[in-house]
Amino acid sequence: MLRLSVLVLGRGVAKRFCSSFSSENTLPPNLLLPSNLIDPDRLKRPPPPADCSLPLLRRCDAAVPAHLSPLLTWVDSLERKDGEPLGLAQLHPDVFSVPPRLDILHDVEIWQKNYKRISHANTKVRSEVRGGGRKPWNQKGSGRARHGSIRSPIWKGGGVSHGPRGPTSYYYMLPMKVRVQGLKVSLSSKLAQDYLHIVDSLNVPTPDSQYLLELIRDRHWGASVLMVDVCEEFPANILQATASLKTVNIIPAIGLNVHSILKHEAVVLTVETVRFLEEKLLWHDQRYTPLYPFRLPYSDLP
Amino acid sequence: MSFSKKSGGKALELLHDLPRITLANLRPEPGAKKLGKRRGRGQHGGNRSGRGHKGERQRGNRPRLGFEGGQTPFYLAIPKYGFNEGHSRRPQYQPLTLRRLQYLIDLGRVDPTQPVDLTQLVNARGVTIQPLKRDYGVQLVDEGADIFAAKINIEVQRASEGAIAAIERNGGIITTSFYDPISLGILIKPVPFFMRGQPIPKRMLPGENMVPYYTCAENRGYLADPDEVQQARLALAQKYGYVLPDISKDELYHMLATRKDVRQIFFGLSPGWVVNMPEKKILKPTDEKLLKYYNS
Repeated sequence: MLRLSVLVLGRGVAKRFCSSFSSENTLPPNLLLPSNLIDPDRLKRPPPPADCSLPLLRRCDAAVPAHLSPLLTWVDSLERKDGEPLGLAQLHPDVFSVPPRLDILHDVEIWQKNYKRISHANTKVRSEVRGGGRKPWNQKGSGRARHGSIRSPIWKGGGVSHGPRGPTSYYYMLPMKVRVQGLKVSLSSKLAQDYLHIVDSLNVPTPDSQYLLELIRDRHWGASVLMVDVCEEFPANILQATASLKTVNIIPAIGLNVHSILKHEAVVLTVETVRFLEEKLLWHDQRYTPLYPFRLPYSDLP
Repeated sequence: MSFSKKSGGKALELLHDLPRITLANLRPEPGAKKLGKRRGRGQHGGNRSGRGHKGERQRGNRPRLGFEGGQTPFYLAIPKYGFNEGHSRRPQYQPLTLRRLQYLIDLGRVDPTQPVDLTQLVNARGVTIQPLKRDYGVQLVDEGADIFAAKINIEVQRASEGAIAAIERNGGIITTSFYDPISLGILIKPVPFFMRGQPIPKRMLPGENMVPYYTCAENRGYLADPDEVQQARLALAQKYGYVLPDISKDELYHMLATRKDVRQIFFGLSPGWVVNMPEKKILKPTDEKLLKYYNS
């Protein structure tokens, strides 16, 4: 409820912010706007209508279930700054339109953060602290409290009873299908919230980062963009353009992960990436459980 | 259509108007993360920290489990008897119901036009065999005999009488054969074995206590006399009250009659051969002694 009201107010604020940079209504420069503010200019591009005249550049390779229909999206180009879409593309509903399981997204994100973690925090136990083998004074007669060693946890400078013990690993693996579903959910939610853009290829005319920034700003893609392509070597132009930019990043398709998708505001996929992702992600829906690791040759898989 | 055409449906349409899903917006399902007990903290966890009041309980000096204060405890008073003696060495057979077999055939996971072997069943993920847990194979159980209607040539390790009757009533052939644990491990996971590059070993004959089972025609053992097996088929048909169909006139007779040799593990591969998977070649031994050993 509160979030919706913030959103409504936010949209009004954004209208005032974006529509006029004139002197009368400028907002103070140190105003902190919420990062999940919806820019109304973003909402101006509706999904392609059924009777669109642009060519269908990509059909779904895999079979679409009978009760679902493939999704249609615009295919843009990075060659020119003016945002005229080149054509349409079909997206498989079982990858780009799965139910938005936010709990799976949370699980996969926390796993990605923690499975690599090795905490090196280590404290010494009373037996490891230097000294403390001898009884400090007699049990009886001295008038002081009884003690057995000067390094017991009660003493200053003594060992820690229940502290962190040596390098601990936080490694755990989520089931493969959960991680796959996490990717599908993140892609579907990006598409549903209009943050997913399909591009025919990542060929840019100039290696100028300014060109990319202006293109992103004109098309209202968002503050940060993640570009994904399936190839071992990217075109030199785009590599140079994104090398110096912090908010625009480029990764190969095998490096696609939930954390990067959620961290960047917009995700740009090429048509080959879509084909690659659909092929890899849909395979898990129909496979058998592994008898032996998948890297060994299988002859019985469908 | 009343329901939405997209699998995400209404939830994705709702998402369109909600704030962007970011790393800051993620949270687990309410009730998913339950914090563990923390002893010695707060009003309820602290004070005696769940240890009770004084005595051995609080001081951690309780006697061992089973101690009854000096009275002869239960686990010593009862005399020993070998109920579970050698339980970890007894052969176990994973049950396979006819109902499950029919299910696998109907879904197309098991091909009834080829001889059905333990490898085929495991490839179809119909059964899970663990040879390291003293599994010696699969046993056919006759639950689902009334709905079973498939003509197959199946080879299992044990079979109940009702299951044999159900298979033969539908014109199929059932054989029980023995696999020693090493052959079983190779049979259920052929690809990791071929990757090892070792020659296919001979299948060992059953031990003394299992020979009577596998030479008996009633159990359709692979070591039994084929004539006796035919007589047993007729006798079983009479006992269960069905007409034994004549298999020799069947078009799939050649497939139904294929049986493995006593020392063979795989159909079409003999012991002694080496399978090279990357180059898709089979290497056969040529040395006399090796041939003599593998053909014995």
